[in-house]
Amino acid sequence: MNTQRAKYPFAILTGLTLVGALAGCSTAADGDTAPASDGGDTSSTTAPDQADATTTTGTYADGDYTESAEYQSPNGTENVTVTVTLADGVITAVKAVGDGDNPNSKRYQSEFAGGIADVVVGKNIDDIKVDKVAGSSLTSAGFNDAIEEIKADAAS
Amino acid sequence: MVEQIAARVEAFDRTYSRFRDDSLVSAIAATPGTYRFPDDAAELFGLYHRLYEATDAAVSPLVGRTLESMGYGRGYSLRPEAERAPVPRWEDSFAFADGVLTTLRPLVLDVGAAGKGYLVDIVGRLLVAAGIDGFVIDASGDILHAGDRPIRVALEHPRDATKAVGVVELAGASLCASASNRRSWGEGLHHIIDATTGLPTDHVIATWAIAATALEADGLATALFLADPARLARDFDFDYVRMFANGRIERSTHLDGELFV
Repeated sequence: MNTQRAKYPFAILTGLTLVGALAGCSTAADGDTAPASDGGDTSSTTAPDQADATTTTGTYADGDYTESAEYQSPNGTENVTVTVTLADGVITAVKAVGDGDNPNSKRYQSEFAGGIADVVVGKNIDDIKVDKVAGSSLTSAGFNDAIEEIKADAAS
Repeated sequence: MVEQIAARVEAFDRTYSRFRDDSLVSAIAATPGTYRFPDDAAELFGLYHRLYEATDAAVSPLVGRTLESMGYGRGYSLRPEAERAPVPRWEDSFAFADGVLTTLRPLVLDVGAAGKGYLVDIVGRLLVAAGIDGFVIDASGDILHAGDRPIRVALEHPRDATKAVGVVELAGASLCASASNRRSWGEGLHHIIDATTGLPTDHVIATWAIAATALEADGLATALFLADPARLARDFDFDYVRMFANGRIERSTHLDGELFV
C-alpha cells in the first residue's frame, strides 16, 4: 500500500502557488473546488509527486479554495478536506480536516504492534473479577438435542 | 412486572420466531400477501435497512431460507439440503411501510442479527416505565445496563469458554456479543451468513459491540463479521472488539476496556 498517499494532501504546502485540485491517485476525487471570490483558474489534477512543481498555468484570484479527497489507509477509506487561502498568488493559510477531526465520528484503529494486530493470550475467567460474561448466546434444548442425535448417528 | 415481561417476550416470539408454526414469520414464509406487523416492527426494520446499506447488503433479514437450507430451521434437522438457497435481494423481496409488510412470493424472514437486542431494549423500556432506573438485562450475550454502578464484563474466548480475551466497563449502554462457536452444527455450518455470498463467514470468529441501544449493539456485532468497522463508524456510533480466526484481536480506540494479549 502506498502510504505516501496519506500525506498527499499536505504536500500542497510546499508549492508557492496553488497548482491544482487535490485528488487521490487511483480513487476518485470528491467534492468541487469553490473559490471564495470568483475567477481563478483551478487547473487540472496533478499526480502527488508533482505537487511541488511551482510552474503556474494561469493566475489565481485571491480567496479560499476547497477540495475534498479520499485516500486509502490501513483503516480503510478516509476522507480529508483541505482549504487553501490565496493572496497575491501566495498560499497564506491551509486548513485540513479529516474524518478524525469531525466530532460526530469516531476514528477506529486496530491495536497494532509493529503493524500486526495483537495475538490473544487470554486469562482464566476465574482469575479476574467481573460481573458478567459476554459470549455467543446459548443454544436451545431443541438445537442441543439435534446435535446429540447427529453425533449419535455419526458414531453408529 | 415479571409476568408483564414474560408476556411481552412471548408476544415478540409469536411474531418473529422461525421455529414455531404459529408465528407471523411462519405465515409469511408460507403465503405471499400483506401482513400487519405490531408497532415494534418499524424500529427493527429501520435498523436492518441501515445495516443492509452500511454493509453493502452483507447483513440482511432475508437469510432465513438460506439458513433453513443449511438445516437450521424448524425441527432442527441440522442437515444441509442438497442445494443451498441463495439470499434474495431486499429490493426484490418486500415493501414495508406504515407497519404493513407486502410480499409477492413466500419469504423467510430471519431477525437473528438484531432481534434479540431489540427485545432487550423493549424489556428495558418496560422497566423504566415502571420506575426502575437501575438494572442489568442479560439475554445470554446481549447485555443492557442502566443506573449508577457500572459493571465489568468479561469477553468470553470463542475457543475456550473458561477464558476471557478481555474485559470492558459498561455504564448506561449495551454490550452485545456474537460468535460462530456455539450455533454451529458441522464443518463450515454456522449461523452468521454473508448475504452477498449466502455462505457462513470464517475470517472473523467473535465480535463485541457497545452502543447506546441493544438493538444497535446486537446488529453491529453481526455486521462486524461482514464489514469494515471504519465504514460502519460513518453510520453508527459504537465501540467494538473483534477476533479473527488466526487468533488476532482488534479493538476500537476509545473502548473502555482492556484486551489480554
